[in-house]
Amino acid sequence: MAEKKIIKTTCKSCHGGCGVLVEVTDGVITHIEGNPESATRGTMCAKGLSSIQHIDNPYRITHPYKRTGEKGEGKWKQISWDEALDTIAAKIKEASEKYGPWTVATSQGTGRGYNRYVHRFSRSMGSANVISPGYICHSPRIGLYGLITGYGRLYCDYHGWGGVFPKTQISWAKQLEISSADSEMAYWYTKSLDYCKNLIIVDPRATAFTSRATLWLQIRPGTDAALALGMINIIIQEGLWDKEFVENWTYGFEELKNRAAEYPVDKVSEITWIPKEKIIQAARLFAQDTPGVIQIGSSLERQANCGQTIRAIINLLGITGNIERPGSMISWVLPETGLIEDVFNEIPLTDEMRSHIYGGDKFKMGAARTCNPDTIIRELNKGEKPIRVWISVGGQQIVHLASTQQVVEGLKNLDFLVQVDQFWGPMAEMADIVLPSAHWLELDDIYDMHPRFMIEAHNKCVEPPGEAMSDAWIFNEIGRRVVPEYWFKDVETLLDHELRKAPITWKKFSERTVSGCFGPDQKYYKYKTDYWRKGGGFPTPTGKMELYSTVLENLGYDPLPFFKEPGESPYSTPELAKEYPLVLTTGFRSPFYFLAQYRNIPWLRTFMEYPTMQINPKTAKELGIEDGDFVWLESPRGKIIQKARLFPGIDPRVVAATANWFYPEAPAQGYRGVFISNPNILTNANYQDPMYGSPDLTCLICKVYKCKPEELKDPKYSDIFIKEHGGKPWAW
Amino acid sequence: MRWGMVINLKKCTRCHACIAACRIEHFLPMGMNWPRLIAWETDVPGEELTTIPVRCNQCKDAPCVEVCPAEATKKREDGIVYVDNDICVGCRYCIIACPYQNRTFLSRDKDPGYFPGYERTRFEKAGRKIYPHVVGTTEKCDFCMERIDAGLAKGLVPGKDREATPACVNTCQSRALTFGDLDDPESEVSKLIKEQNAFQLHPEYGTDPAVYYIDGKIGNAPSNIAPREEQTASHIQHLSTMEERAKQIFGKK
Repeated sequence: MAEKKIIKTTCKSCHGGCGVLVEVTDGVITHIEGNPESATRGTMCAKGLSSIQHIDNPYRITHPYKRTGEKGEGKWKQISWDEALDTIAAKIKEASEKYGPWTVATSQGTGRGYNRYVHRFSRSMGSANVISPGYICHSPRIGLYGLITGYGRLYCDYHGWGGVFPKTQISWAKQLEISSADSEMAYWYTKSLDYCKNLIIVDPRATAFTSRATLWLQIRPGTDAALALGMINIIIQEGLWDKEFVENWTYGFEELKNRAAEYPVDKVSEITWIPKEKIIQAARLFAQDTPGVIQIGSSLERQANCGQTIRAIINLLGITGNIERPGSMISWVLPETGLIEDVFNEIPLTDEMRSHIYGGDKFKMGAARTCNPDTIIRELNKGEKPIRVWISVGGQQIVHLASTQQVVEGLKNLDFLVQVDQFWGPMAEMADIVLPSAHWLELDDIYDMHPRFMIEAHNKCVEPPGEAMSDAWIFNEIGRRVVPEYWFKDVETLLDHELRKAPITWKKFSERTVSGCFGPDQKYYKYKTDYWRKGGGFPTPTGKMELYSTVLENLGYDPLPFFKEPGESPYSTPELAKEYPLVLTTGFRSPFYFLAQYRNIPWLRTFMEYPTMQINPKTAKELGIEDGDFVWLESPRGKIIQKARLFPGIDPRVVAATANWFYPEAPAQGYRGVFISNPNILTNANYQDPMYGSPDLTCLICKVYKCKPEELKDPKYSDIFIKEHGGKPWAW
Repeated sequence: MRWGMVINLKKCTRCHACIAACRIEHFLPMGMNWPRLIAWETDVPGEELTTIPVRCNQCKDAPCVEVCPAEATKKREDGIVYVDNDICVGCRYCIIACPYQNRTFLSRDKDPGYFPGYERTRFEKAGRKIYPHVVGTTEKCDFCMERIDAGLAKGLVPGKDREATPACVNTCQSRALTFGDLDDPESEVSKLIKEQNAFQLHPEYGTDPAVYYIDGKIGNAPSNIAPREEQTASHIQHLSTMEERAKQIFGKK
């Protein structure tokens, strides 16, 4: 008789956190589906469901390895965990003693599960040089909400917990319906649309909902700040702002009014390429049909004007009073388990740590508790060694940072690089030691979702392959060897420590799977109570929501938002645009991949085998490109190959490329095909946001032309594009 | 009783979760898809992008049943058309006869395994025992009839209770799929068909599909007031850590 059990756990195939039921029969996973008794009511996406193909995946890293050949040569020797951990600990201690603890950097991929360990680990060693993709994803949003409203995490209230759903929703550069990005879940969003009056979509491309939305503002990439300021101007000119809220609870309305007046609708229409009537209609709907929410997508945070863009959008929420009301933007009350992030906050940043943050002098917002990765790459390329030892967990900096070639050259300059990962990717091929990590189906951990009204348990369903271990275990073990006073005897003790405020033990929490604060337990209108400030108000220096930011003024930035052309655009670099006439955006979501992940999962790869670039059929015809052709996308930095997809839902002057692409099936030489199709070959970090350091990754210019058949036969990538049937991994 | 599905085109996000759920549910070999998504894109303003999920229509007058020389494709009392793969001789008449092209032949090279050249995964191996596929026969969607039958045996209602409902319907994050009894005028599917101008694909084929489609615009909801069960988050309230509070709410009911 087969032994069958159902294990309740939590998916982290994206930022999500969907409840999952896993059926395990005699130690083998035989079924996965959503848990109907979870906040996402038993729904799951293709990425989460395909997790089953992480198990027994032959591309998994199964043991610790030490590099024996040159970097990128793919020559490895299997070593024991003890040897690996002892070597890493010795390297950290050596660099720390000789050059200072700040020369040890810890990096991460998108923050899912391990970012609190990354920070604790780094701080416990005495370094604040955490290399995080936060500055191009999510951090600007939470940082600027923090600056303007005093509390850093405002999310859309589309649960109905305050009695109503949002009446007007703006989905701004975001495709929540296919991504559950930043833990604002597709299920909640799509459900709330049943109760919505107006859905406004701001996107350069048609998405699943544009044809059915109330309004689609097809914007030129990189001009979102102008649109937001233009809408603010219309709302003020027409007297539609929320007078009660603005008068009592905001600071700097007059100044904002004057600044917004610099963005009359005709000018905004010219900048953004959006018809003037649509901008006016959007502004009116958003101001009149309240409450409303704006989902801010991370594409906006991959632009050199990201800080001002997001500030303008937050101000748009402010003047319409869409802060802390039911059905608007809200900061959530934590569950009884408190702030799980306290596991690193309890080790405060010292002045010494802060003073050695790279980029901290320049990017005062972005480099407050993490460093600016582009600054480090620049220094490494100059032959400097700001970082000696780099411990990388999960992330593919080679793929997601601007200017791939420079990142690769820079990383070669490090003394010692460790990659903790599930699969062989570009970062692993660059590393000196590679450590195998476990998938979420194979580990015990706590999942802390971004909006923070609940935490969930990952429960181990099956054993990891070979000697793979959870990230928590790996950090704890290295930590124990370097700074034992900050680390724990085992992972369970660490998890107990994280849950101590509830108080609940890991074992108990693991059974319960969720600790949350839902429904009427949440608090609205916190600024009208003593919640943040006695007598009411926002936790800002003025006690108000700062439309005019006194904090930024003190830091030497413009206290009011403004629009700035992208570093390279038809208007900022007209000469360059003659040679590179098309606007290129690279940020769009795919329902099959999460950033650089999952190209090695066959079910998902069948949905999109090659990176596709979308081009309007009219433009394609002019260029002699047909649907399915391989094309070159070229910028002054280099060129990449992607597959053309003729798509009427994109402006003829714009093309969109799939971001973060490498080929896991490609050989180690060439860093797993990272130079073939990754759009960051085309980007650079010459233009950076003054607050956050974010470079222009999603708004640049390029030219497009057809790939000649003989070019695809180049031995560098003939394996990838011209396949013999049967032998190659993705040859179905 | 006739099982049917209503697909809401305005809600489909082209996320492909239905396909992934089907692959798990039926241990589908690589290359085999029961449901598919048809991408529809035009340059007509306001109609730029539509996704049409398709799967076997479980037609009332099913041409595949008529043409099958081996009588391997059968129609049940409840309207579900299915293939008995032990009888199917692989002649593929049905594939030609199906006007909707919703049948696939499982040829040998359609099953190279998840990772060609490597050992099959344990999930694949388990699948061969739990849900064997017969190479050289035709396959298609059968509305997860095993789930329906097992659910009904437990007294559950297909379309309402997950255990008795097709896997794709359960997993859909935007709830674009609705399942139920077309013959019951009180069922969710019957109401949607009646109230929302539902249509079948290519009615001119005269096969009377059991899969219906509805479409429309997002927005213009009559009210944004949340129903009580949403306000109280009743389905997750038992997970709330504020147990006292939960008791208060449930106490009031």
